[in-house]
Amino acid sequence: MMAREMRRILIPLAIVAAIALAAIILPVFLPWSHDAIDWDHARAAPGEAGHILGTDELGRDRLARLAAGTRITLLVALAAALVSLLVGTAWGAVAGWIGGRGDEAMMRVVDALYALPFMFIVIVLMVVFGRSILLVFVGIGLVEWLTMARIVRGQVLALRNRPFVLAALASGAPAHTIIRQHILPNIAGVALAYLTLTLPALIMIESFLSFLGLGVQEPLTSLGILVKEGADDMDIDALGLLLPGGVMVTLLVCLTLAGERLRDRFA
Amino acid sequence: MRALLIRRLFTAIPTLLLVLLASFLLMRFAPGGPFDAERPLDPETRAALEASYGLDQPLASQFFGYLGNVLTGDFGPSLVYRDFTVTELVAQGLPLSLTLGGLATLLATMLGLAAGMSAALRPGGLRDEALMFASTLATALPSFVTGPLLALVFGLWLGLLPVGGTGGDPRYWILPVIALALPVAGAIAKLSRAGLASALGGENIRTARARGLSERAILRRHALRPALVPVVSYLGPAAAGLLTGAVIIETVFALPGLGRYFVQGALNRDYPLIMAVILLYASLIILFNLIADLLYGWLDPRGRA
Repeated sequence: MMAREMRRILIPLAIVAAIALAAIILPVFLPWSHDAIDWDHARAAPGEAGHILGTDELGRDRLARLAAGTRITLLVALAAALVSLLVGTAWGAVAGWIGGRGDEAMMRVVDALYALPFMFIVIVLMVVFGRSILLVFVGIGLVEWLTMARIVRGQVLALRNRPFVLAALASGAPAHTIIRQHILPNIAGVALAYLTLTLPALIMIESFLSFLGLGVQEPLTSLGILVKEGADDMDIDALGLLLPGGVMVTLLVCLTLAGERLRDRFA
Repeated sequence: MRALLIRRLFTAIPTLLLVLLASFLLMRFAPGGPFDAERPLDPETRAALEASYGLDQPLASQFFGYLGNVLTGDFGPSLVYRDFTVTELVAQGLPLSLTLGGLATLLATMLGLAAGMSAALRPGGLRDEALMFASTLATALPSFVTGPLLALVFGLWLGLLPVGGTGGDPRYWILPVIALALPVAGAIAKLSRAGLASALGGENIRTARARGLSERAILRRHALRPALVPVVSYLGPAAAGLLTGAVIIETVFALPGLGRYFVQGALNRDYPLIMAVILLYASLIILFNLIADLLYGWLDPRGRA
């Protein structure tokens, strides 16, 4: 890989990693937790009374809330992305490998799930899983695997007639060995690219649900909740919207750029 | 053409039935019902309520009874908005959602195609890079961030545009339509840029160049139509989504459309309302995919049967 291409992929990923690291480490050094109320300093300006980014309308430290929200958002997105990676790769690989009628049937299931309005599925999941946000996101991961399954299936279909796979088949290697040793290593790059593209989609879903009041619940907070609070309060205090909005936009743009560049590289 | 239409119609009906059945079952097996309240109802009232809405019947007969009603255009009474039928509620929200989604689709298509074509004119150039970066930005930004930000800048800081409601003035539509259209415009710009780049490598283009046509004329007359194929296949489902579910934009800008009823219906387990919206959405997706298929034939005659 050329150095320039490498940089174009690694720089956005490094920015995301820096934000994640900051969100994890910052709370250790801050004297306030994300839901502690500083009664004497509501709506403090940045820098006032030791609040580096000021406080919100209830006197909660903005930096602490931003870090806590970013952490939750990244955590749920990551959990859901891993589930979608596992399910999508397995489904797509099996469909592509067996081919014929079985493949057809498995892909029709994917098509049917695509046609269901996404909001509806999420709301049913919320009802079934209750308020456990991590479980909800495992559930969303189970829904978000569709694109991954399609991509992986396409790759497997293309791979299974390649000479090295045919040679392995002719030499009598069992299917699971071929899939593990020849197919999976060859789809890893594409799967990684789409994993990177799934993350921003999941961050958007989390924020979207929290924005509607369906996602993360108080006292926990997330970027979506912070954007919502900021939007409700923006006529008095624009910073409350601009800060979480800025973090979210940076995360989404960096992950999308890195994902697209990885995809162009591997697919 | 007619064979395609008939074939599509025959696959559309079972698909719609399947969507309806799946959503029916999911909704019924989810815990919690429409009559759950803070204070539990006494068993007799509850039984009477369930009987009057037919919820005490066996599942199969509930489903087929519902199916029969739907075929005659009757989606039943809303379980939560007690004085309205679902058909009335949908009829109330639909015109606004259709207007909003239609305007956004139009704007997104125009913006996206203009950006994609302009970028493809000189691939690898500065304008190409800048436009593609802007497209990534547009697709990466969710409407619940761009919506409030647009309202903050143009509504509150600059005071140029109203930020909520529908006061009969066309200016009320500007911000919601832009916020809704941006991600789709970005995606269209990328697809049309990629489509044009591959179409420009074709032999017909080499011939046209040899005939001495200008780059612009080649783009317009020879490359554009085949390049639109991926755009059209993306636009089908995207337009259906814009038309039915601008949930966030309708919330941010306080517009009384269909999206709001959908969320409310789901939260309150208003089965008839949710199922009507889902069926509407699925029908729109199928309809738009059919339109997309018909357009392929016109755009790229090689695929014509």
